[in-house]
Amino acid sequence: MTGRKIGVYVCQCGGNIGDYVDVDKVVEDIKGDDDVIVARSAMFTCSDATQQEIVQDAQEQGLDALVVASCSPKLHTMTFRDVAKRAGMNPFQYTQVNVREQCSWTHTDDKTGATEKATRLVRAGINRTRLTEPLEPIVVETTPKSLVVGGGIAGLRAALGLAELGLTVFLVEKDAKLGGRVAGYGAMFPNDRKGSDLVATLEEKVRANPAITVFTNAELMAKGGSFGNNQVTIAIHGDQLETIQLDVGSIVVATGFDDYEPAAGEFGYGLDGVVTLPEFKKMVDEAPGLLQYQGRPVKTVAYIYCVGSRQDESLEGAHTYCSRYCCTSAVHTAIEAQKLAGDIRQYHLYRDMRTYGKYELLWNASREKGSLYLRVPDDEPPAVEKLSSGGLKVTTKDLLTGGEEIAIPADLVVLVTGMVPRENADLVSVLKLPVGIDGFYNEIHPKLRPVETIVDGVLICGACQAPKTSSEAVASGLAATTQSGAMLKRGFAELDPMVAIVDNDACTWCGKCLEACPYDALEQVEVDGKQVAQVIRTACKGCGGCVPVCPTDAIDLQGYTDAQIRAMIDGLMEVSCS
Amino acid sequence: MTALVNPGLATELARSDEFNADACMNCGVCSAICPMGVDVEVRKLFRYVLLGMEDKVRAETESVFSCLLCKMCEENCPAGVHIAENVRTLRHHIVRTTFGLGEG
Repeated sequence: MTGRKIGVYVCQCGGNIGDYVDVDKVVEDIKGDDDVIVARSAMFTCSDATQQEIVQDAQEQGLDALVVASCSPKLHTMTFRDVAKRAGMNPFQYTQVNVREQCSWTHTDDKTGATEKATRLVRAGINRTRLTEPLEPIVVETTPKSLVVGGGIAGLRAALGLAELGLTVFLVEKDAKLGGRVAGYGAMFPNDRKGSDLVATLEEKVRANPAITVFTNAELMAKGGSFGNNQVTIAIHGDQLETIQLDVGSIVVATGFDDYEPAAGEFGYGLDGVVTLPEFKKMVDEAPGLLQYQGRPVKTVAYIYCVGSRQDESLEGAHTYCSRYCCTSAVHTAIEAQKLAGDIRQYHLYRDMRTYGKYELLWNASREKGSLYLRVPDDEPPAVEKLSSGGLKVTTKDLLTGGEEIAIPADLVVLVTGMVPRENADLVSVLKLPVGIDGFYNEIHPKLRPVETIVDGVLICGACQAPKTSSEAVASGLAATTQSGAMLKRGFAELDPMVAIVDNDACTWCGKCLEACPYDALEQVEVDGKQVAQVIRTACKGCGGCVPVCPTDAIDLQGYTDAQIRAMIDGLMEVSCS
Repeated sequence: MTALVNPGLATELARSDEFNADACMNCGVCSAICPMGVDVEVRKLFRYVLLGMEDKVRAETESVFSCLLCKMCEENCPAGVHIAENVRTLRHHIVRTTFGLGEG
């Protein structure tokens, strides 16, 4: 007996647990364990009624620690920490035991075994709880400033949004000018506004906003500090290199994409008259009334879709994803081309048309204006060749005519190229950005945390995350704005106190923990004339990687100390099930 | 045999305001619903026209003239293609070019 007063609640989760684990028997088994003051089963422990019951028990029995055996800690740790708090306990003296995902759901064929395992798991949880100490969240003041990396349409809009929230903004652009790729576009779908105009409007507002400082010809070189308080180094390339240090609370990455560059010979790329979609868009934008290519009028255009997208995964470095913007962009460009003088025939050789959502109307409009769409087989791509007469010929099969082999004489062949991730190894290494297998940066959760990365305080938006239309890029830029606001506007953040702690007497400073830490959360300091390791509590994630490498057992993880882990193992091994 | 695309045919036929084969989205409702069970898929026939495959169009002369112009297909066409009118335009074209009959 340690004098602790622990309340234990075992959940049936309807039938999720109760159908396979004899919950009442588990309660019976652990009822007599040391320090267990209350032990109960509940149909749904997370329900308001049971939460209220826990609070009442705690107040009547003077409980000082809580164990709930139910689902995964991912689901309800925060729920029951909150219950503990409301009941007057320290929330970090709560233990969640997983008897659903790790017990009832996995042992549906063995009820007796599942019940025995549940008892052992609960006992391990009780043993851990007995040794808990009250902890307080680590409160860090956050710096109300944001750094935006990349001055394209997403970065510009994010910078403006952040400033409008009342944050100080630093916008870093690698190029000499702001605006990114959109600045080079003419009429864009869906409303035909010119990309250059859109960006000019945004840039004007950004430049006029006193809360935003713009650095062009500039790069992010280094990042230090920890969540909410990062020190970043910016290099500005001018007549001479200048570096400056800034304090920021969040970093928004909006570094954009690259256009896919076809290989020589890919669909005839390199032949006179074979151009990419961005090149063709420019021709249409700049056409002097009549569409021309090298002084000759263009009467027939053949588009080949999915160039550099949806590639065969067996190819090395294949881009297997759909770039999603290119169908609509090609369709829109075809409509723009049709507006020019002269009778243009346009043939679109597609695999699947993906003019999703409202853009479907553009596809209809292009067909009404005379664009003809040919569905080509996935495994028999069209072939492009140069005719002796000077023109081009595209040979393909049209599945909509039952696989008829067709040759299209064309003045111009447009390769509808997609987006590829931008090469930016330096930035990836400075920010430790998570790069996906497709080469774009990864969010934590595509639906629920769409702009956050696993690096706290570093957000991603725009086409550096995945191919996006400009409206999607802007929407994600504003999501990153909101997320920054949520982190920084409160002025402080609370971090989990389950972090590593060093026993200065035992530490001999060998540096092994430093090497084991993936978060740069350890540093060497001098305490009373002795070199020891010190945990930077705001950087530590509580992964425990440093604990087993310490040769003198001088480092421990609060909330999961060696003593607690040993006690949990003892609990698992104990055979006192009746 | 590879057929060479010839935009001329479509351009010529498109002179009739009613001819709108390019609105077809290839669903095939027309063929499914045809009371004559006409032996050609209308959607294919129209693509031959759009692609300018004159020989293929001529090869379908029999079917083009079997049509009753009942407009059952047109009533049910989800894309609003003027199928009967298009067939009439094609008949006109075939009569003029294949049988050498004049505009008169």
